[in-house]
This record gives sequence, structure tokens and C-alpha cells, in this order.
Amino acid sequence: MTSITRAQLLSRSARGGAALLVAGSALSQFVEAAAADPLPGSDLAYARLLVGAELLASDFYSQAIAAANTKPTVMKYLKRAYANEQEHYQSVAGIISGAGQTPAVSGDIDFSYPKGTFGSEKSILEFAQTLEGTMLGTYVGAIGGMQTNALKTGLAQIAACEAQHSAYFNTVLGGRTFSLAFPPALTIDQASNALDAYTA
Amino acid sequence: MTIRSSTLFTVIALCAFAVAGSAAAKSSRALAGITVFAGSSMTTVLPELDSSNTYSFGSTGTLAAQITNGAPADVLMAANTTTAASLYASGIVEKPVNYTRNTLAVVVPKANPAGIKSIYDLTKPGLKIDEAASSVPVGSYTVQVLNQMGLNAAVQANVVSQETSDANVVSKVALGQVDAGFVYLSDYVIDPAHLTLIKVPAWAQPKITYSMAIVTKSPNQKAAQAWIAKVLSPAGQAIFVKDGFLPLRSPVPTIAKVTPLKGKAGAKVTVAGTNLSGTTSVTIKGVPAKFTVVSKTKLTFVVPAKAKTGTVAVTNPSGTATSAVFRLLR
Repeated sequence: MTSITRAQLLSRSARGGAALLVAGSALSQFVEAAAADPLPGSDLAYARLLVGAELLASDFYSQAIAAANTKPTVMKYLKRAYANEQEHYQSVAGIISGAGQTPAVSGDIDFSYPKGTFGSEKSILEFAQTLEGTMLGTYVGAIGGMQTNALKTGLAQIAACEAQHSAYFNTVLGGRTFSLAFPPALTIDQASNALDAYTA
Repeated sequence: MTIRSSTLFTVIALCAFAVAGSAAAKSSRALAGITVFAGSSMTTVLPELDSSNTYSFGSTGTLAAQITNGAPADVLMAANTTTAASLYASGIVEKPVNYTRNTLAVVVPKANPAGIKSIYDLTKPGLKIDEAASSVPVGSYTVQVLNQMGLNAAVQANVVSQETSDANVVSKVALGQVDAGFVYLSDYVIDPAHLTLIKVPAWAQPKITYSMAIVTKSPNQKAAQAWIAKVLSPAGQAIFVKDGFLPLRSPVPTIAKVTPLKGKAGAKVTVAGTNLSGTTSVTIKGVPAKFTVVSKTKLTFVVPAKAKTGTVAVTNPSGTATSAVFRLLR
């Protein structure tokens, strides 16, 4: 039987509670903002794109985890990133459903990856690094491009999370953990083209 | 006499000609092929495939209504899968088969006077946009794309006309009567001289599949079946692809058995299953293996040097099948 100290138990409970709180608050922020007033069409267009991007990220991490080609330490981060992306998906999909529409779901978009993406730890990490850079740029662009102020805090929280993912993959690949003071924002066209590159 | 003879000869000649003509007419009808009712996006490709058929091009819904009302069609070639499926359910056509796929595109006049560079530009107020009515397949796909991208309300505000076919949208755009229109990619491929293509993102594309079916009451069942086989043949499919359509997706592979289910690097392994002929990759726990397709139901691969114990995955463009765990022996 595995023993657990009281301190460990409290720590785990606190982490779990915090995760639930953050996920709950981000999701409810988006749903409430979308439901409160009719969202501008351009915000819905951005939300649709973010949903597509999160579906790509979730699909990639699920395949990377299934390939089981990484060390346990890396696998731990892949699983954490996967969980984060799923929470992000729920949140941005909440913008669409809050506006009374149906968000895209897994299976609506067929993704494709460069040959050998899941064949080794290095190839998985390199794709993850590129993906997270794109996700960061997409969210930074969305913060600037979306008009509904009530959505911006939640989008910034997701952007911060994607930046953390990006820093981890930069580090584990032996590069600089971070470098730019102002990571570039992608326009909606650039983000759409980036997503398109991995769509079958 | 001479005249008589001559007259008689003329009469005999005319009779012979008439008989020959009648035979030729019968033969011509036999060779003339069948009557095909097809969506208007097929206007160029089908005569390329067989110029002896009689074609009637139009909106899939209108053609289906005509067939339902007894129009003398042998085959319906729809621009979607739902129409033929619906007629099949009513017993009006035989079981449909898919025959090609397409993608949605935006076209603007060659000179692009409105300066449209992206589908997102179509939301700019004041543009004149043309689309097919939502009762037409290409029109319903347009609405699907715009909904998927969250652009429907803004773009619909700029729609100045709704057409009964993609061909009508192409005409108006090519003539510069509108700033942009939604059509199939195949519409652009046949007229690139007068149009500029604006890509619709792949992530927002609907799955556009066309299906065809033989009309149950067709008196030309055999010829109709031969036509279906011709359309689905490699040569037939190549003509569709040349004209901007997408090749049919091969069915998803399945794995029935991997023999042996353990082995060392370099060992030859056999996979039995279905739909294996279009295989694009074989991996063991994600590590790619060199493979040889033997038949639709059999392929072999060599266990790669860097292989690990794990499932064998066989992939084709439509999907992936995975086996039980293959154990790597050292």
C-alpha cells in the first residue's frame, strides 16, 4: 500500500482545487461573455479559429502520447500539455456555444502531420515547439483582434499557458528557454494558414 | 428504260440507303450510350470521359425531381451523397456509389478589382458576393464553410444574388458582375483564364463527396453499369483529378492478423486484413517499417532496427488500423 503524508495530501488537494478553479473560471468567463450580449461576427470568426487550433493541439498531443516514443519525463509534460489544451478547447468552444451555436468537435477536422512526426522523441518535440509557437501567436493575435473585452482576460491566460509550453519545449530541445520580449501576434489569416498546414 | 432503270436504280438505292440509314440509326442509338443526369459541376468532365452519352446538366435537386417524375434518365450523378441516398430509400434508384470528391473555393474576377486576398476579406462592407442557393449542394456547402468559420452573417450581408448552379456563379464572376463567388475548385480549374482563386481553408472545408446511382426503371441497366465501372476505373478517376476534383478516399484499413506477433529486427512479418492496397505507412510503436503491399488483403513488412515492442499501425489516406502488441525479441 502506498503511504501519503498529510503535507502531500494537502498539496495535491490544493493543486487539484486550483486547477478546477482556473478551468471553471475561464470557461464560465467565456460562456457568460458570449451569452450576455450578441458577440460581433469577427469575434465568432476568431473563436471558430481558436477552436480549430485547440482541436489540432489536442489531436497532436494524443497521438504523441499514443506513440510512446518519449522518456517518462517528457511524457509527463506531453500529458500535462494535452490536459491543458483540452481545457482550452472547452473554454473557447464555450464562446461558440454561449453564442447559441455549435462548436467544431474532434472528427470534424482531419489533421495530417509531416512524415515521421511521431517516429522519435526529437521529432515529437520539434513539432510541439513549432505548434506551441503558433498557438502563442494565435492567442496574442486574438487578444488584439477580438473586440469583446470580457473575453480578453481568459484569452491572455491561455496565451500565458501556451508560452509556458513553448518555453518547456525550447528548453528540452537545448535552445533558449525564452528570447523575445514581445512574441509576434499572428493575424487571423496567418493563424488560419498555419492551422491549414496541418489539415488533410 | 434508261430513265426507268435509272429511276429504279435510284429507288433501290434510296431504299438501300434508308435501310442502311435505319440500321445506322439503331446502331447509333446503341453507340450513343446512355442518358446521364448530372450536377452542373460535371459539365466539362463527363463529356471528356465519354462523348457518346446524352447528358442533362443541372441542379442536383432539380434533376432528382425530374427523375422522380419519370424523366428518362439511366444514371443520376449527384453533387452530394444525400440526394441519391434519398432516391434509393424511395426505390427510385439502385444503391448509390461514391464517385468523386471536391473542395469549395472562392473565385474573384481575374483582375480582382475589389482587392480580395482572403476569405476573411469577404466580410468587408460594400462587396458584391454571389453564391448558389442553399437548396443547391454548392450553396449548402457554402453555408457550412461560413458557419464553420463564424463568417456567415457578415458574408451573407454582402450577398447580392443566389444562383441555381455553380456554373451561374462562375459566369457572373468571370464577367465581373460581382466581386467574388463561392464555387467548387473544379469550376476554377476549367476556367483559370477569367478567374483568380482565393483558397477556402482546409480546416473549414466540408466533406464534399459525390455519389451516383442507376435509375431503377432504366431500360439500359447493362450499359449503365458499364458507365459506372468506367467512371470508377483508374482512367476515369484520372480525368476527374485532372479537372480539379479530388480522388476518392480508399476505405479505412483493417488488420485481422499479424504473423508472427513477435520477432527480431530484420524479421519479415505478414499482415492480413482488408483495404491494404492503398497503405502509406506501417509502424511498430510509431517506428516506420519498410513494407510491401502484396494484395488488398495482405502486406509484409520488415521489423526495423529501431523497433520497440508495441502495436503495429497500418495507415492509408482514410485512417489507421492497429494490431495487438508485437513483441520485439532481442
